Amino acid sequence: MKREIPLAITFISGFLLIVALFIPHKPFGTLQETFNDWYIIVSGFTMILGIDSLLLHNWNKVKRRKSDWPYALALIMSFFLTFLWGLYSIVYEPTHNPFAPTASFLKYFYKSIFVPLQATMFALLAFFIASAAYRAFRAREINSTLLLFSAALVMLGRVPEGEQAAPYVFGIIFLLFAVYFFIEASLLTAGFLKYLYIALGVLLLAAIYPVGKLLLAYLPKIADWIMNIPQLAAKRGILIGVALGGIAMSLRIIVGIERTYLK
Amino acid sequence: MTSVFWTWVAAFFTLSILSFLYKDNPFYKFAEHIYVGSSAAFYVLQLWVFDVYPKLVGGFQYKVGIEKWILIIPAFLSVLMLTRFIKPISWLSRWAIAFTVGMAAGLGVTGLLQGFLVPQVKATFLPFYVPGTSFWNSFYLSVNNILIVLGTVATIFYFYFSREHKGALGTISRAGITFIMIAFGASFGYTVMARVSLLIGRMYFLIHDWLHLA
Amino acid sequence: MREFFEKLGKIDRRIIYLIVAIGVITPILFKARLPIKPLPEVRQAFDYIESLPESSAVLISIDYDASSMPELQPMLYALLRHVFRKNLRVIMLGHWPLGVPLGQIALEDVAKEMGKKYGVDYCFLGYRPGIAAVMLNLGKEIRSVFASDYKYTPLDSLPMMRNIHNYNDIALLIGLEAGSVGDFWVQFAQARFNQKIILGSTAVITPDIYPYLQAGQIVGLIGGLRGAADYETLVNTPGPASIGMYSQTVVHILVVALIILGNVGYFVLRRRK
Repeated sequence: MKREIPLAITFISGFLLIVALFIPHKPFGTLQETFNDWYIIVSGFTMILGIDSLLLHNWNKVKRRKSDWPYALALIMSFFLTFLWGLYSIVYEPTHNPFAPTASFLKYFYKSIFVPLQATMFALLAFFIASAAYRAFRAREINSTLLLFSAALVMLGRVPEGEQAAPYVFGIIFLLFAVYFFIEASLLTAGFLKYLYIALGVLLLAAIYPVGKLLLAYLPKIADWIMNIPQLAAKRGILIGVALGGIAMSLRIIVGIERTYLK
Repeated sequence: MTSVFWTWVAAFFTLSILSFLYKDNPFYKFAEHIYVGSSAAFYVLQLWVFDVYPKLVGGFQYKVGIEKWILIIPAFLSVLMLTRFIKPISWLSRWAIAFTVGMAAGLGVTGLLQGFLVPQVKATFLPFYVPGTSFWNSFYLSVNNILIVLGTVATIFYFYFSREHKGALGTISRAGITFIMIAFGASFGYTVMARVSLLIGRMYFLIHDWLHLA
Repeated sequence: MREFFEKLGKIDRRIIYLIVAIGVITPILFKARLPIKPLPEVRQAFDYIESLPESSAVLISIDYDASSMPELQPMLYALLRHVFRKNLRVIMLGHWPLGVPLGQIALEDVAKEMGKKYGVDYCFLGYRPGIAAVMLNLGKEIRSVFASDYKYTPLDSLPMMRNIHNYNDIALLIGLEAGSVGDFWVQFAQARFNQKIILGSTAVITPDIYPYLQAGQIVGLIGGLRGAADYETLVNTPGPASIGMYSQTVVHILVVALIILGNVGYFVLRRRK
C-alpha cells in the first residue's frame, strides 16, 4: 500500500492532464483547472524540503566543532536573522509583506545584502571562463577548429565594432596556421603532401587581406547567418531529441515504470 | 546617510566574494555561508507571502461552498509534504510528492508535444526553392532552407546510437557533428558574453554606485 | 625556446584575472562608448510593441534573479520605458521567487519616473509556484491564480484589471528569462492560447531561443546585454547596457587573443614532441 497509493496518484494526475488536452470540456477541463490549482499550492512546499538537512548538517558541524564551524554558525544565524526580519515585516510593517517596495526587508536586506551576494557569485564566472578558454580550448582536430572559428566569429560579430578588430585577429590566426603548414612542409621530403602544405600556407597568406576586408564589411551579417541557419538547425535537432526523451520519461513516470521519485 | 551605509554594506559583500579570485579566504567563506543561509530563509518567507497566505488562508476566508472546502485536499497534501521532516511518518510525504511528480509529468508530455515537437517539426518543413528578388537572392534563401532541413535531420541522426555510425548513417552523422560543432561554438561565444556581462554589472556598481568614479 | 612556449601555455590564472578586470574597468572609468546598431530580432520586438494600440495590456514575467540581473534588469528598464511611453498597461508577475522583487523595484522606479498610477496603468501580482500550472490557469481566468495583487488587494478593485480575465485580454506577453520558463511560456501560453510572446533572455540561453523565432512561436527576441543595449538605443534611453558594451567588446577580443595564445603554445610543443 505504501507504494501502490502514490503510484495511483501519479497515474491519475498525469493521465488526467493528457486527457484534458484532447477533451478540454467538463468534467476534464474543470478537473484540470482544479488539479493545477492544487499543484500551485503544493509545489511551493517542495522548495523548503531541503532546509531541514541544510540546518541540521550545519548545526552538527557547530556542535562537534568540526573544521569551518564558525561559518556553519554564520549560515544558521543568517537563516534565522533573515527569517526574523521577514517576520517583522509581515507582523509589524503596514504592508504586512516583506516584498513590498516600502518594506525594510526589501529596501535594505534584499537590495544591499542578498542581491550583491548572488550577483557577484555569478560574476566570478567571467574570470573562470577566460582562464578556461586559455587553458583548455585547443584546435586538436577539424571539428574543434570549426568550433573555435564559430566561437570567434560570433564573439566578435555580436559586439559593437567587433568587425574592426576581426581582420587583425583572423589575420594573426591565418598567419600562424600558414607558418605551421610551412614548418610541416619543410620537414617532409618532396611529395604530394609537401606541396599541399606549401599551397595551403600560400593560400592562407593570400587570404589574409581579402578575408579581412570581408570581415570588416560583413562580420555582423556572418554572425547573424551562423545564429539563424547552422546554429538553429543543430539546436533544433538537439532540442527535438531532448523533447522526445522528456516525453518518454514523463510517460514512464505516469505509467509507473519509473519509480525513483518514491525513494 | 542610511543609503551610504547600505551601499558600503553591498560593496563589502561584493568585494568579499571577489576576493576568492586571489585565493580562498575567511571573507569569501563568510559571505558564501551568509548567502546560502539567507536564500533558504527567503524561500520560507516566499512560501507564506505568495503561496500559503493568498491561496490557502485567503481561499478559506473568501471562497464559498465547494470551492472553499475542496481546499482541504491541497492543504492536506501540503501537510503530508512536511511529514518528510518527521522520520517515523516520512513515508506519507510520498503521496504529496507523487501528486507533484504526476502533475509535472502530465504537463511535460502535453507541453512538449503540443508546444514544442509539433511546431518545431512543422517549421522544419521548408521549401528547397525560394523565389527571391534576383538569382543570387533566391540562391541564398534556398541554400539557407536546405541547410536548416539537412542540419536538423543530420543532428537528429547523430544522436541515434542504436546502430553503428557506418555507411550512409556514418556520413549523415558526420554532417550532424559539423553542425553541432558550429552550434556549440556559437553557444560558447554567447556564454562568454553572458558571463562578462555579469562582471560588467558588478564592476559598474563598484565604480559608479560605490566609488562615484564614473 | 621550449621553456618560453611552455610558459606561454601556463600563465598564472591570477594574471589572466587581472587582465580581464582591467579590460572591464577601463572603458567604464573613461566613459568610453561605442555606436550600437540594433540586431534584426530586437528591432522586430521593438516594432511589435510600437504597433500595439494605446491602453493594450502587456503581461511582463520576471523569470530571473540577481545572478542574471546585469543583463536583464537594463532590458526591463528599457522595455518598461517603451511600454509606458506607448501608454500601454503593465501587469507584472514572476516565476523565480528570488528575482520577482527585482521586477517590482524596476516597475516602481519607471512608473514614478513616467508619472504612472498603480492600479490604473500598472499592477504587480507577485509570484505563484507551479510555472506551467500557473500558465494554464491564467489562460482560463487570472483570478483563479491571483485573486489579489501583492498587497492582497482584490484584482477587481484595480480599475485596470476589471476587463482583463485571461490571455484573450492581453495583447502581448514579455518574458524575461534566465532559465527554462521561457520554453514553458511558448509551450503553454503560445501553443494552447495563441498568446503573442516576446522573449528577453540571458546570453547563455539565447541560442536555444532562435528555433522559436524561426518557427514564428515568438514575435521578437532580445538576447543578452547586447540585446539590452540595442533596445536602449531603439528607445533612446542609454543606460547600463549601452555603457557596458565597450567593456564587452574589449573582453571578447581579449578572450579570442587568449585562445590564440594558448593554441600557439600547444601547437609548438606538440610539434616538438
